[in-house]
Amino acid sequence: MSTAIAGLGMTELGKVYGRTAGEFAVEAISRAVRDAGLTLADLDGLLVNPGVANDTDLRLQSTLGMRNTRLLATVQGFGSSAGQMVQYASLAIDAGMADVVACVYADAPLTEGRSAGASYQGLKRAMRGLGALPAAAGLKAAPERYAVAARRHMHAYGTTSEQLGAVAVAARQWAVRNPQAQMRTPITLEDHQSSRMIADPLRLLDCCLVSNGAIAIIVTSADRAESLRQPPVHVWGWGQAHPGYVNRRGSEFGLVSGAARSGPEALKMAGVSVRDIDIRELYDCFTYTTVITLEDYGFCAKGEGGPLAASGALGPGGDLPTNTGGGELSSFYMWGMTPLSEAVIQARGHGGERQVAKHDLILVSGNGGVLDFHATLVLGSHRKGT
Amino acid sequence: MIPVERDTHSAPFFDAAARGELLLRYSPSSGEWSEPAAVVCSVTQAEDLEWRPVAGTGELVTWTVKPGRDAPDTVVGIVELTEGPWLTMWLDIPPGELREGLPIRVGFVRPEGGEPLPIGGLDGERG
Repeated sequence: MSTAIAGLGMTELGKVYGRTAGEFAVEAISRAVRDAGLTLADLDGLLVNPGVANDTDLRLQSTLGMRNTRLLATVQGFGSSAGQMVQYASLAIDAGMADVVACVYADAPLTEGRSAGASYQGLKRAMRGLGALPAAAGLKAAPERYAVAARRHMHAYGTTSEQLGAVAVAARQWAVRNPQAQMRTPITLEDHQSSRMIADPLRLLDCCLVSNGAIAIIVTSADRAESLRQPPVHVWGWGQAHPGYVNRRGSEFGLVSGAARSGPEALKMAGVSVRDIDIRELYDCFTYTTVITLEDYGFCAKGEGGPLAASGALGPGGDLPTNTGGGELSSFYMWGMTPLSEAVIQARGHGGERQVAKHDLILVSGNGGVLDFHATLVLGSHRKGT
Repeated sequence: MIPVERDTHSAPFFDAAARGELLLRYSPSSGEWSEPAAVVCSVTQAEDLEWRPVAGTGELVTWTVKPGRDAPDTVVGIVELTEGPWLTMWLDIPPGELREGLPIRVGFVRPEGGEPLPIGGLDGERG
């Protein structure tokens, strides 16, 4: 038994106004089903990952007219949700519980005339009790919460702002080649270094975009996927690891992420090693996230993620092509669906100008919270083990 | 700083803070200290946590400075208290003096409409 991603549906992404997340979700699912060569009537499973606007839920089932639903849930693992949804869909399909499962992420945080930062202050928290202390002190939105993590990494390993800048430059080089990317003007390291400080040490060009829209994928059995319209993208392996950082002496917060355990689990399930991976699609909410994820997956030694990025290995023509659509930094921010959708496009060989020549095995990461949640997928353009 | 309201768990912490005293959670069975928000011991998961006062000294682990557009910069850091737990707090320290391991003394400040919150200052005696 094994599963595959048979369909991909993407709405217009970015500064697209006047539509709710729920409306985006319907369009993405409908496109994904058509892309697979199926119809909405074929769906018997639906997994929904609401974003910060949080207005997409299980009612999507009736909106889509689904009457034979055997698997239905919201999944909220934040940035790890997309990977988690593929995993739960695969388990359900392998168990015979469902045949064709749509997994969707949809969000619409942007409002016209309002800055991205103002639109995206994270999920609202009650300012009550001791759990509110960090937010009350100023660690509230994602940039400052990642800034303290990044600074720890800098202290421990000598990671520099210029090395983080190299991640941003590489992502933009890919985005230039991606017609769906929001940011397609090339940038230089100097542009990064002179960009506005958001939360020291993170500058504007260290931060991902904020986008409206939705992306859906269709998961089904590998056998069924092979009879459908698109080249199947086979699910070879997966893992999850949620580090549960404790706020005390000896914490690895900022130094080691869930990828350090999730990655090896996923590779073991896939029966491959990190050296077999052709393309990396990593959750890059910040440039720093790319660096720590590369280290924790084992693409370089701990602490060498910065120098690896500075070597140019991640960009077009580099030895370790990474975030080949421009990532969340430069293409669009659809949580874990940004890396996952690009993995599907590359595995199919549909990457156009940005297509990586060797695209047999792709590692996909999803990172949520502040490195609190992590999911990994190993995807292949051939059936597992072939 | 944003005002924070008390709840049942935090009431003893804020009562002590009003007296200028920092409380942490202590587990008699493990002998380990946990952060104020903890409900189980952060080392052993023991459920015997009780409030105990501590000296309020620590060292800076990491920090960020958020440029204020039309307001002063926000300096916020994570402090490792001498007993081991980490506490996030506003820092009343010039950004140029921030460094890893900087000795910190915890005080309290009360934003209007809320409970007293920890604030980190330079620990002159140890600095």
